[in-house]
Amino acid sequence: MTDFNLRGPSPDWERIRKTVRHEEPDRVPLLEALVEYPVQSQFLGREVTSDDIKSQVEFYYKAGYDAVPITVSAMAFGKVDDASPISKVIREKMLKDETDKQDMTKWSLEYTSFIGDRQDFENFPWEELEKPELLSQLYEVKDYLPEGMKVIANSGKIFTLAWMLMGFNNFATKLIMDEQFVSDVFDKVAHIQLNLLDKIFDIPYVGAVWIVDDLSFGTGPMISPQAFRDHVFPWYKKIANKCHENDVLLFQHSDGDLSLLMEDIIDIGSDLLHPIDPTCMSMREVKKKYGDRLAFAGNVANELLRSGTMEEVEERVKELMKNMAPGGGYCLAAGNSVTEWGKFENYIAMLKATEKYGKYPIRL
Amino acid sequence: MSEHLDKIKESIISGKYKEIETLVQAAIEDKADLDQIINDGMVAAMDVVGQKFAESEIFIPEMLVSAVTMKKGLEIIKPLLKGDEIESKGTIIMCTVKGDIHDIGKNLVIMMLQGAGFDVIDLGVDMSTEDLTRKVEEIKPDILGLSALLTTTMPEIKNVIETLKDKGLRNSVKVMVGGAPLNAAFAEKVGADGYGQDAAEAVVLARRLVAAK
Repeated sequence: MTDFNLRGPSPDWERIRKTVRHEEPDRVPLLEALVEYPVQSQFLGREVTSDDIKSQVEFYYKAGYDAVPITVSAMAFGKVDDASPISKVIREKMLKDETDKQDMTKWSLEYTSFIGDRQDFENFPWEELEKPELLSQLYEVKDYLPEGMKVIANSGKIFTLAWMLMGFNNFATKLIMDEQFVSDVFDKVAHIQLNLLDKIFDIPYVGAVWIVDDLSFGTGPMISPQAFRDHVFPWYKKIANKCHENDVLLFQHSDGDLSLLMEDIIDIGSDLLHPIDPTCMSMREVKKKYGDRLAFAGNVANELLRSGTMEEVEERVKELMKNMAPGGGYCLAAGNSVTEWGKFENYIAMLKATEKYGKYPIRL
Repeated sequence: MSEHLDKIKESIISGKYKEIETLVQAAIEDKADLDQIINDGMVAAMDVVGQKFAESEIFIPEMLVSAVTMKKGLEIIKPLLKGDEIESKGTIIMCTVKGDIHDIGKNLVIMMLQGAGFDVIDLGVDMSTEDLTRKVEEIKPDILGLSALLTTTMPEIKNVIETLKDKGLRNSVKVMVGGAPLNAAFAEKVGADGYGQDAAEAVVLARRLVAAK
């Protein structure tokens, strides 16, 4: 178990709301869409699994977060692994006659794809991707949520789920050679995500929806900005409108260089963008250009968490606090998710430095 | 004659995959030089495509459709070339290294290399160093292309290069590397022959490495 106990946890969702409104709360909030389970396990000193919601809440509470991220989608943040509902659907429905179901290359969407053509599209068990069970953790969390904490529903993987089901090269070529087909896949996936999201707005402890959907490589958008405008962003806009009608915030995550998409992301109506990929974007420049129209989270590079020292991590957090936090609009987070391959001691150093340098007013 | 070449070039640049076969056929019927169609029409077109991609004027789907268009055109020409005229631009083995299953980048590079006339042997993902060096020994490619997405799997690239050296294979094959966390400095440090930032750069690099062999 970690000795991190600098302050008594004092979760307060209002801290996040103020931050995205560009106001200064008592301190800079910590925010993550995912802290991988081995990191949570090390922190609590016992194993935490993807279905152990009680322990996950305990982790985010004790580590100083104001919200617990819960996946409300067939596809979660992070790796497409055994625990992903989409993997279960594929194994049970698509590969029901397959003998070797342990073989990841047959079912993981990181290795393989299932929608090559329209017949595959028609045959795909779409109804499995919007089953009420996908919301079960969201209901379960109510029993454990401490006062002041809210839940962030991670969802909205429209772009990633569509191309992963199709396979990237097939998706990319068909986007031009059979655009209607790709458009139909997008529509299907987006409707499923929206149907799931519709069910969450009556839940009072959901504070935000977090669209976790990578749009860019390190060199730029994965498809043209116009193709995003034609096929993906209108769906995000619908999600944003629904969120705001229900007084729920909308966060957006994408890896990669988003420079060419920034105006679109603002136009969608997102409240916060994460993580401003430190491998290819400058947080200071992004803040300078768009900081009055959007809040940010992230930018503590995962490579720094993996290979840096605790002192270097502290220095980076200090730098972010100095440049990003004054006036609000910034939450401290890693440069992607908090991964198990980063050094645990560096993650703790990141939390401690946030505590040390993140109190408002910032005087650095 | 240059009118045919211009049309072929333009149709590849703008990915007009439906009309390329007709255009190539027309050029052939007009007795156009086949080598010229390939090099001054098609390869030159893909250079423009690579440039447009590098300048974010087009994106991966457009670039891939240009590669598909070129491939369709090449397929019309290939049966007409005599044995010794069927000039492969070189043989390239491609894979992601041990522990890395991320193959989007590798697959894009393969499509572009094939479009540019290279013979590509795709060994897939998560390739062990032992199996890989065995394949290099057996196939004797001009180039070995290694891809890694994760900082944790990057060191495998060095392992592969060191193993090639140990087995006396390093001088017979050029090694090009790519993947999100890599850069030219890393490539140089681990002893690779070159680094490509994206699929378009990989094609330029592959041509350069084959020419230097």
